[in-house]
Formats: sequence, C-alpha cells, structure tokens
Amino acid sequence: MEEQVRSDKSGYMLMNKPGYPRVSSWPNLIWIIFLMMLFITIILWGVSFLAYAPLEEMAEWAKTPNPAKAPWYFIGLQELLVYFDPWIAGVMLPQQILIGLMLIPYVDVTPTEQGNYDFRKRRFAVGFFTVGISFWFLLIVVGQLLRGPSWQLYWPFIDYDIGSGTWVREGVHLKEGGAALKSLPLGTGLALIIGFATIGMVLPLIVTKLFPNSKKVKELDYYLKELGYIKYFVVQSHVMMMVGTFVKIILRLGFNVKYIIETPWFKI
Amino acid sequence: MEERQSKTPLKKILDFVGGLITGNPIYKSIFRVGYPNTLLKRMAVMRSSFYMHIFPTKVGEHGLKLRYSWCMGGITFFLFLLLSLTGILLMFYYVPEEHRAFSDMKDLRFMVPFGIILRNMHRWSAHAMVLCVMLHMMRVFYTGSYKMPRQLNWVVGVLLLLLTLMLSFTGYLLPWDQLGFWAVTVGTNMASATPLMGYEGPFHELLGVQIDNDIRFAIIGGTRIGANALVRAYVWHCVGLPLIATLLMVFHFWRIRKDGFSGPL
Ligand code: HEM
Repeated sequence: MEEQVRSDKSGYMLMNKPGYPRVSSWPNLIWIIFLMMLFITIILWGVSFLAYAPLEEMAEWAKTPNPAKAPWYFIGLQELLVYFDPWIAGVMLPQQILIGLMLIPYVDVTPTEQGNYDFRKRRFAVGFFTVGISFWFLLIVVGQLLRGPSWQLYWPFIDYDIGSGTWVREGVHLKEGGAALKSLPLGTGLALIIGFATIGMVLPLIVTKLFPNSKKVKELDYYLKELGYIKYFVVQSHVMMMVGTFVKIILRLGFNVKYIIETPWFKI
Repeated sequence: MEERQSKTPLKKILDFVGGLITGNPIYKSIFRVGYPNTLLKRMAVMRSSFYMHIFPTKVGEHGLKLRYSWCMGGITFFLFLLLSLTGILLMFYYVPEEHRAFSDMKDLRFMVPFGIILRNMHRWSAHAMVLCVMLHMMRVFYTGSYKMPRQLNWVVGVLLLLLTLMLSFTGYLLPWDQLGFWAVTVGTNMASATPLMGYEGPFHELLGVQIDNDIRFAIIGGTRIGANALVRAYVWHCVGLPLIATLLMVFHFWRIRKDGFSGPL
C-alpha cells in the first residue's frame, strides 16, 4: 500500500509522512462518534413523535390513484418518462448512471489531488459531477412537488379546480393538455443523432487544433493526451448522454417533438 | 502529598467511586486496560477491544474535522444499525400476507404500545439514510477521495448506494397501502421496458418474451403486484439485501482501514 501511495506522481500523501499531526482515537474520535449517535437518535426520536409515517387506504388494484408516484429517490426517473420511453428513462439511463459512477476513479486522470476541497486542478470532473447531481435533484423536485393529476405541472401556490379531475390548467381540458406532439421524419432524426454524436465526439479535439495557443486550450490538450482514446471515449459518451438528455427535453418542451427517431421497434 | 491535599472532597468521592468501577476484577476482565488516562492506555483501549479495533489507534487531526467528512459515512452506518434494530422489532408485529399486512400496520398504530413510534422511526431513518448516502457520495467525490488507492472502495460504495435504494424501495411495499402499492407498481413497470428481456421493451419478440415470462415477472412473481410480490419484497427487505449490504459494509470499512482515511496531499 505504501508503495502505491509513494508512486503517485505528486509524491507522498501528507498524512503518511512521519510528522503529520495525529491524535489518539480515544477519546478524540470516539466522543465525536458518540455525540453523533446521541444527536441522530434524539432527532429521529423527536421527529417520530411529531410526524407520523404515511399510511393510506389499503392497497386496491382497481383504484389507480392519479398520479401514482414512485418514491422520491426514483421520481427523477419517473419525471424523465415525460420525455423518453421507459426503456430509456427507466432502464438505460439509470444503468449508465451507475456504470458511469463506478468508472469515475478509472477515467479520472487529473492530478491525484485528494483529501481537500480544492477544485482548481479538477475543474472538469467537478463541473460534470455537479451538473449531473443538480440535474438529478432538480428532476426530483419537479416530480415530487410540481406534478399533479395526469402528471401535469401544478404550481404549489395556485389553487386549481381539479375536483372533477378534468382540469389541467385553468381553462385547459385534460384532453387538450396533451398538446399535439409530432415525431421528426426518420431521415432528419437519424441525421440529427449521427451529427450530434460525431460533433460531440470530435468537438474537443477540433477546439485544441483551432486555438493551439490559448492557455485554457493547452490545458485541455494536455488533459486529452493524458486520457488517451479509450478513456476519452468513455468520458465523452457519458457527457454526451447527459447533454443529449437536455437536448431532448428542450426539443420536447420548445418544439413539441415526440420522438427524434421513430421506428416500429424502438423510439428515441 | 501536595496533590492529595489540594483535592476537593467531591474529587475524592469521584476518585473513590471511579476506582470501584474501573478497579474491580469484573470490569478488568471485560475492558482489560484500566481507566485510559495516558496515551499508552488510550491506544491499548482501542487495540484490545473487539469493537474499537475497527478504528485506528491514532487518527490524523485533519480527518476528524466535521467540515471535512460531514460525518456522513458514519451517520449512514449508524442509521443502518438503527434501521436493523427497529426493523427486527417491527418483524414481531408484521406478517407479509396480502390480507393481513395492512391490518398489522393499523395494529401498530392503535394497539401495539409505542408501535407507531417504532414505525415512524423506521420510516424516517430510512429516508434519512437514502439522503445521507447521497451526501456521503458527494463528500467523497468533492474531496477526490476515490482516487488511488481507493478506487475499489468507491465502486463498493456505488453498490452500497444501489443496495440502500433497493432496501428502501422493497420496504415501501410492505405496508400494503395505496401509496406503496402504486409506487412499487410504477417502479417495477419500468422493468417491463428492458430491451430484449421485458415484454414492452424493444426487440422483446426476438426472445419470445411475453408478460408472463419476462424480467418483471421474474422480479415480482406475477403479472402484477400481488401476494407473491409482497413475500418477495419482504424476504429481500428483511434478509437478502441486509445480508449483502452487511458484507459490503464490512469490506468497505476494512478497505478504509487498509488505505487509511484520505488526507491532504
Ligand atoms: C450504506 C452505505 C455506506 C456506508 C455505511 C458508508 C460508510 C463509510 C464510512 C463510515 C466511511 C468513513 C469516512 C466517512 O465517514 O466519511 C466511508 C468512507 C468512504 N466511502 Fe462510504 N459508505 C457508504 C456508501 C458509500 C458510497 C455510496 C460511496 C461512493 C460512491 C462510498 C465511498 C467511500 C469512500 C471512497 C470512502 C473513503 C473516503 C476517505 O478515505 O476519505 N461509500 N464510508
């Protein structure tokens, strides 16, 4: 283990150096743990007296609630169902998120900066992760708080007349709510996706060729060389998956596009 | 001599009582080291106790700071312990049977002494654990603690994240009320969209997959959530997943000891 740490480009881990300030775990660590346990127990005990766990009516197959919501930690995926078919929103995206998370340590070639909150040498990694996590929580907030009957947008501060269940927005009927969506023609869709994939893959490379003298670009160039082709492909395909998700959402909300590619077998 | 004279009566009494406790043979047979008031004894305390020795005898000052670790991994683990305890107690009162599960929840609410507190604690701890495990992952990411030599432990962590979500999700069905029933229906319906293996997924015709032999059917034991799904959720929730999670946590903690807690470079 020592060997590995020592062979880091940046040299020793400070904490493995002989003079690094250390204190005995008893009581310095133990009392933190003890107080933390006490604190959490008291908080949860208190909350449990004040707030009751929800229990609705007994489960009944014949009575589908509208909307039926997934638990909050999965509601982001359910929210994506507005924009994607379930095989993408419910299967491919979560699978890629998990695989992508697991691959992070193996594709991160920024200097082995660790043990502090200093982001200067790992701007890209921190940026990508932050955008991803924020997106995840944003979808949760929208799905959990802003979605009502028929998964339509409801602002919590407006009183809607949904007694009959037929009003979506004030003056708009449920049926009209599902505004006319259309899919792109197959040729356009294919061109769009292939173009997106190609441009996304080569854009960073082109940028390094176009502006070889800018300091920022030199950093990027160095980073790309460190990555090598395989890691670059892995990282960039995940970046594009996330960007692609944004793009589809924009196409849907702004241009009423239902599917970019529609075939009898699968739809994207 | 001088020291003795300067002792207040209170201190004398405390010393006497303390001596009775830490000096008697029973205490010594359990804790071995006497009251840990010197560095040597403090380190011995950590090493000689079965429970304490998962911690190092000494820790870097840096890692102790709450603003560094947010204590999130520890809180997640403590919540897991709390959930195990309240979960075992809940198992005394709950039977995963289609016609009984819901009335058992009502009994917990109205009949079992402190039953509702038990259930509330289990419920809120579960939500807290999901949140804490996400925050813990963010902490580890932002401090770059997944880098060499901790890559594998990060991967184990992602598996633990998945297990935490699965634990919470299987538990959601158990009350057998409308909330959990439909949430789990919505969630498991996603599985039917799996390419090739789900009956609504792309290319499912190729394997002859239908509603009664696809992956969703395998998961919930039927074409819709019913008695079979309830038993499966129960067994995964109370036996299968906690067992796997415990094994992974043991590994997680062992790796932290081996790699050392992350410090600044
Ligand atoms: C059930 C879930 C989990 C439990 C009980 C748990 C527990 C812990 C504990 C107690 C620590 C010690 C330091 C601290 O408190 O921050 C730790 C460190 C660590 N955890 Fe977790 N963890 C869990 C999930 C995760 C997840 C989801 C990840 C990442 C995806 C992860 C990655 C790590 C890594 C890399 C370390 C070493 C950090 C360092 O040395 O600074 N763990 N974990």
